[in-house]
Amino acid sequence: MGNLYSILNSAAQSLQAFEQAIDVTQNNVTNANSPGYADQVPQLISQDYQSDTGINTGGVQEVTQDTRSTYADTAVQQQLSLQGMYQQLQTTLTPLQNVFDVSSDSAIPSALNALFQSFSQWSTQPSNANYQSAVIDAAQQTASAFQQAAVQLGQIQTAVTSNIQSTVTQINQDAAAIQSYNQQIAQSPQPNAGLSAQLENTLENLSSLANIQVLPGNGGTVTVLLGGQTALVEGDNVNAIQAVNDTASTAGNPGAAPTISIEDSNGNDITGEIGTGSLAGLLSVSNTFLPSLIGGGQQVGGLNTLAQGLADSVNTVLEGASTTSTPPYQAGSALFTYNAASPAGIAGSLAVSSTITGSQLAAADTGPPVVANGAALTLAGLDSSDPGPVDGQGFTAYFASLTSSVGNAVNNANTQVTAQSQLVAQAQSLQQQVSGVSLDEEAVRLVQFQSSYDAASKVVTVINDTLQSLLSIIPG
Amino acid sequence: MEHATEYGDAAECLQAAQASMRQVKRLLSRPSVEAADESATLLREVEIQLGCVAAILRQNGSQPDARMRAGVEELQNEVAVLAAFFAGAGKMLSGWLDAVRSRRGGYTERGQAAPLTLVRKLSVEG
Repeated sequence: MGNLYSILNSAAQSLQAFEQAIDVTQNNVTNANSPGYADQVPQLISQDYQSDTGINTGGVQEVTQDTRSTYADTAVQQQLSLQGMYQQLQTTLTPLQNVFDVSSDSAIPSALNALFQSFSQWSTQPSNANYQSAVIDAAQQTASAFQQAAVQLGQIQTAVTSNIQSTVTQINQDAAAIQSYNQQIAQSPQPNAGLSAQLENTLENLSSLANIQVLPGNGGTVTVLLGGQTALVEGDNVNAIQAVNDTASTAGNPGAAPTISIEDSNGNDITGEIGTGSLAGLLSVSNTFLPSLIGGGQQVGGLNTLAQGLADSVNTVLEGASTTSTPPYQAGSALFTYNAASPAGIAGSLAVSSTITGSQLAAADTGPPVVANGAALTLAGLDSSDPGPVDGQGFTAYFASLTSSVGNAVNNANTQVTAQSQLVAQAQSLQQQVSGVSLDEEAVRLVQFQSSYDAASKVVTVINDTLQSLLSIIPG
Repeated sequence: MEHATEYGDAAECLQAAQASMRQVKRLLSRPSVEAADESATLLREVEIQLGCVAAILRQNGSQPDARMRAGVEELQNEVAVLAAFFAGAGKMLSGWLDAVRSRRGGYTERGQAAPLTLVRKLSVEG
């Protein structure tokens, strides 16, 4: 009887195993285009003969094996994380080009040009009321251009801060979803390809937001570390992160935007661990790039330095000159005002003195020798004086250097976004190619790719050198 | 007139380089070992074509030409993208290979991933 029972039992188990194998194949076909799905390979293995019961001789048991390559998934996640960062930098930095535009019709360079032209015109007839009035009008246009730029940068800063908050919320939502998948996977009696695909999809989404490290756990569950150190999801636990305004960072720099830090659920500062992903891009713009332009943390910002440099230089010349070219000399009045108590807000508070009139503009240099239009001439040549009044540069040149730093950052982001989208495609293609192959085959394929890219990469270096020399041959 | 013809040759070489570069971009958007090999061949052609442009311009003395300069600058941007791509790919592939090596052969005494060795398999029957 024992034998008959074991034969029947064995046959039933075999049928069940083949049925499961057909299900797996069907599942692969259905999910062929599902994001994050890795083919499941049904493996039929012989079951051990159990000598004590005599049951189950020669039967088969189906074991489903996930074809996912551990590093393939990691590579895709890492590339997505870099792509997320560069895309964020591109999106966030591009609007800055509207503020820092070196073309002559953009607000600040055009206002500066008009201001120095008005000084030049005034120097030809210092007592001409129309020319004096033109100087005040041009100064007002200049102050207004600085104010407008400060407002625009403030709006960008606000948008970036809001984006940081929403990105942190998305990260916490993804972490909660992963925790839920972990729970479902742990409760599932056998590998569930659908759940695994959903988990992988969420991990890829999370990767584009921040740099994560995924550690495989029991039965397909995962532990997710943020920046390789802070546990974001650990089994059933989610350690939510939060974005915090570090008000202490602006101590001694009133008016500056505070640095934003990321804290774990215990209040530890983990900002330094966020290296890639869109959150890293946003933090870099918010804590480093924007402060270099408009101030923040301990930085005053280039735009404020320029505004203060312009106001101080013009005021110094006017206050040291005289409104009359013959005694009794009468000192001139300051043209510009700003809120000196808030160094990071100078561009926003730059204005023309509300009490100044054309006749209070001092054109005469009392010398000796006395030059009736000496101060006006000094003002007209201020932008091209050597060394220049703002960190050794003229105002236009200093603004151009700010523009150049913005332009370079945007160009770099554009280059990296294009390259990174190809790298993501490559990582995903390799992920498909190595799924299910042995480690040796995976290594062979990687070495093939590496040597092909090495060869191409060397030629690119030579081409770059040739292009550089071509640019020096062709005059612009 | 002769100068114009030679100058036209330089422009033609530059256009050929631009066309090859477009092909490289197309190839690399669908990554495969074959596409990468073909890209390397095409890039060598770009190198030769640009060398021709430089030689012609040096020989004849270059005139200011905004169109040609813009073309070269555009190529320079594309090369910057390629350089960033290859740098990123190199980093990714070597990291991936290290992971495979360490899983396959463990670590060396210095803590580096074990190198891969080619093992010839011999099958004896009968």
